[in-house]
Amino acid sequence: MVEVSQLTKRYGPFTAVKGISFEIPQGQVVGFIGPNGAGKTTTMRMLTGFLPSSEGFAKVAGFDVFEDPLKVKASVGYLPETPPLYLELTVGRYLSFVAELRGVARSKRLVRVGEVMEQVGLTGWENRILGSLSKGYRQRVGIAQALVHAPKVLILDEPTSGLDPVQTEGVRKLIQNLSGDRTVILSTHILREVEALCSRVIVIDQGEIAADGSLESVREAAGGQHYRVRFEGADGPFSDTGALAAEVASLDCVSRVEPIGEGRLAVWSDQDPRPDLAAFAVAKQWKLYDLHVHLPTLEEAFLALVGGEA
Amino acid sequence: MSTIWAIYKKEMRVYFVSPLAYAFLVVFLFLSGLFFYMGIAMTGEASLRVMMGNMAVSLVFLLPILTMRHFAEEQKRGTFELLMTSPISLSSLIVGKWLASLSLCIVMLLGTLLFPMVLAYYGNPDWGIIFTTYVGLLLCCGAFCAAGLFSSSLTDDAVAAGMIGVLLLLPFWLIGSAEGLGGEALGSFLSQFALLPHLRSFSKGVIDTADLAWFAGFIFVFLFLTYRKLESRRWR
Repeated sequence: MVEVSQLTKRYGPFTAVKGISFEIPQGQVVGFIGPNGAGKTTTMRMLTGFLPSSEGFAKVAGFDVFEDPLKVKASVGYLPETPPLYLELTVGRYLSFVAELRGVARSKRLVRVGEVMEQVGLTGWENRILGSLSKGYRQRVGIAQALVHAPKVLILDEPTSGLDPVQTEGVRKLIQNLSGDRTVILSTHILREVEALCSRVIVIDQGEIAADGSLESVREAAGGQHYRVRFEGADGPFSDTGALAAEVASLDCVSRVEPIGEGRLAVWSDQDPRPDLAAFAVAKQWKLYDLHVHLPTLEEAFLALVGGEA
Repeated sequence: MSTIWAIYKKEMRVYFVSPLAYAFLVVFLFLSGLFFYMGIAMTGEASLRVMMGNMAVSLVFLLPILTMRHFAEEQKRGTFELLMTSPISLSSLIVGKWLASLSLCIVMLLGTLLFPMVLAYYGNPDWGIIFTTYVGLLLCCGAFCAAGLFSSSLTDDAVAAGMIGVLLLLPFWLIGSAEGLGGEALGSFLSQFALLPHLRSFSKGVIDTADLAWFAGFIFVFLFLTYRKLESRRWR
């Protein structure tokens, strides 16, 4: 449904997006995550045909974005970072203007506008002036506008930014209900959102794809599931955690050990090594303070990938 | 075609739900009433000749205010992104907006039809001349709207766009008086760009194809510049 190859965007000497490639099949919900200024918005703008690319090509819904932009635009619904509203119009007038703009036939326009207003929970609000709406409601109108022509592909740029927790939850539920056979690309830097909504994550950092795959595989990139353990020697803390790690690594069940702090180790193993680690501590007369399964959060994975501190 | 219509309707709606259009109409009608009275008082003729010249000059200052928000606001509020990610061409966007501002000018000119009626009540005006006068004013509005749209595409600050629009139009008015300056060759070259000489024949009851072409060229050049400007914004 979306096909991107070697897509590049330069602004003068600055390269915002550096030859990224990916493919998204129909019905997949993909999260673009990355720090601010990583190139998420630029990529989305190129996919919607708003910005021309400097190099590379992109195909959305079967049409080349740069050769057939009008056909692409007709099959994409796009919510920019701030909802693009005409504040002096009413909700109903605004949505029917967008519907007309996107080529919804006159006979279906009213029905369609009613449908999307129901979908985003705005029924009964058609006569409200957009300028008088709160941020959460403006965001809903923004989403309604992206949906009004029943697009095959939905591109949402930070759909929950600046909303309060209740509104955020509402918008998330909404996006969940929208997916199905629709392809959705959403950008965010709230990782819980990706966990709640997306089946696939594309991590973008400094204009490049740092990781691309399922939530599992991105977690894998940050070490995957492993065990965390903290020992202390019989007569006080260990001064040399490296030597401790080497000792623990001699155990048969352990495949890899990494020191992560004073007396603290990260241990990888094919089978659960916890009984062996406990027995080992007893045999060595060490004190065992902590022993648990560790599943990296998306935050840790993200920080590991974009070069922050885990 | 249908997208031009969609844009046109939206622009008209935005005009009439905001106070701008009304304030604009009031100011314009007040000024033209004043010019009408001055014209009659000065010449004692049952004609709109004086009013037309003064109206054209007042439009130099007024029309950029009417058109200033068109692209400036769209850029500032991010709605330009909505328009440009919708399946419409840039040219239909520009033409739709131009037609909408021209329509508002027509409403405004219709308001001034009261003056020829007053003339007809008290005197015996030449209806042919009045007709051509209105054709001239309409062309003038079309030209100024095109220039105003161009100035609106230059910045995302509406007020600045309005100022730029006035600055852009002023030379076309002032250059008429510069004819005598800088030698005959330069003077006659510059006078080609002057606005008022092209309006003059309309107020005499003549529709000259050269004048029609001048206005058509003016409108086309500025709408084309708007197109180029908006297109180039996307590349940066």
